[in-house]
Amino acid sequence: MSGDTLVIYEEEITRIDALLTRMLKGAEAKCALLVDKDGHLITRQGFTHSLDTTALAALLAGAFASTKEIARLVGEPEFSVLFHQGKKDHIHMSIVGERSILVVIFDDRTTIGMVRLYAKETSQELAKIFEQILSKPESENKAGISGDFAALANDRLDDIFQD
Amino acid sequence: MVSINYSSREVCCKIVFYGPGLSGKTTNLQYVHSKVPHNSRGKLISLATEADRTLYFDFLPINIGSINGFTAKFQLYTVPGQVYYNATRKLVLRGVDGIVFVADSQVDKMDENIESLLNLEDNLVEYGYSIEEIPVVIQYNKRDLPNVLSVEQLNGQLNKRGWPTFEASATIGNGVFDTLKLIIKLVLDKAKSTGTSRMKPVSASASFERPGDSQKLAVINPHESGRVPVEASHSASGRVAVEPAAIAGPIASTGSPYRPYPGSEPSAPVVRPAPAVTGEPARSYEAQVTPTAAPAVHGQANEEITNRGHSPQMAPSLKRRVEPKKRGFFKRLFGIK
Repeated sequence: MSGDTLVIYEEEITRIDALLTRMLKGAEAKCALLVDKDGHLITRQGFTHSLDTTALAALLAGAFASTKEIARLVGEPEFSVLFHQGKKDHIHMSIVGERSILVVIFDDRTTIGMVRLYAKETSQELAKIFEQILSKPESENKAGISGDFAALANDRLDDIFQD
Repeated sequence: MVSINYSSREVCCKIVFYGPGLSGKTTNLQYVHSKVPHNSRGKLISLATEADRTLYFDFLPINIGSINGFTAKFQLYTVPGQVYYNATRKLVLRGVDGIVFVADSQVDKMDENIESLLNLEDNLVEYGYSIEEIPVVIQYNKRDLPNVLSVEQLNGQLNKRGWPTFEASATIGNGVFDTLKLIIKLVLDKAKSTGTSRMKPVSASASFERPGDSQKLAVINPHESGRVPVEASHSASGRVAVEPAAIAGPIASTGSPYRPYPGSEPSAPVVRPAPAVTGEPARSYEAQVTPTAAPAVHGQANEEITNRGHSPQMAPSLKRRVEPKKRGFFKRLFGIK
């Protein structure tokens, strides 16, 4: 539907993960998620195993989308940083390039200032990586959904979707 | 857009249930949630008002297992149907791959159906999408009620583009799965026919994990095969080509093609015969199911978002502050070393 294509190669993901890990160590945060604005999780680092990252990605993307709409209504292009403060855990969200959101979850062992500082720096570096990704010529992505994938999926659906 | 994760071999699609208020979009998702095996679906998240009207969206992830080495995942969303929630309704359409238009078959609801359909087209246009390019299925819901229009009348008003239609009664489940199966088929057919111009291979990290499975904290999750260098070989073009045997580590070695979602209830694993797909070894899920995988909230027909407290499994600070030990007062006083 949207015509933009984003192809992320393994080497870029390795670089992104390294950046996120460095940010987590520097800011002493718990975990970081990189979420696509459509609600898909791109990558994650840190202690995310107790989190439902699928739902979290969808909700965070929703929160960011609604905030962007609020920004538009008050005459701003968008709010680039979003912060949720809780009793123990807090969430810092910042925009990365055109289409991704960097989410950092942290607690009182660090401060919002530290997280903001590191997240800003990391966002800029991530944005550079995404620029490189987008500037790469589109390669021959012919694998994926091919052949009898849809037919096999249909058979599987019959099995799962039983009244 | 259809998201294809080449590293962890996942295909993820976004399907939106659209339609006027009280036409049964959330009920569709609730029925799917209640009938699909727990290890094939995640939690149903409803962002609703106190009166159970959808405020932002409902979200239900479905995982139909591995097909040709790719795990197929579908994210089902509903929109708020009420007219004055258009701002949030539009946001849900971002990146949509397929639309189920849930129409209310009752005679007095026709105007609302038409208004909602026009609103759908307008909202898609605002994103630069064309309704002609997106797979759409119409579901004529509430067929069990007495005062309903005939399918011909509904088609005449709502289906000028000749979309596939289904009659349904979402409360009892009639037609719900038929609608869902068809939209999934259309989305996959569309993704296949459009090639990769709208596909997005991303990293391995979007794989699902079970809450509480803290044993994997220290080790690389073998499911994230893209992160395991020995299992992945770089092709000449630089993309990681993952061998079928290396796909989805724990899944590949187990008996069920299904991997449970976070938040799904733990229970006896459903052992299903492995599909005869070339390159996929027989699999079983027993080895992966442990009592510790039990989530805090069990799946119910309409689960709310739970406020996850600070888990004791959350790791301590990454950097320990070690302070030098102070000598005792009396030792310092008397100069004892």
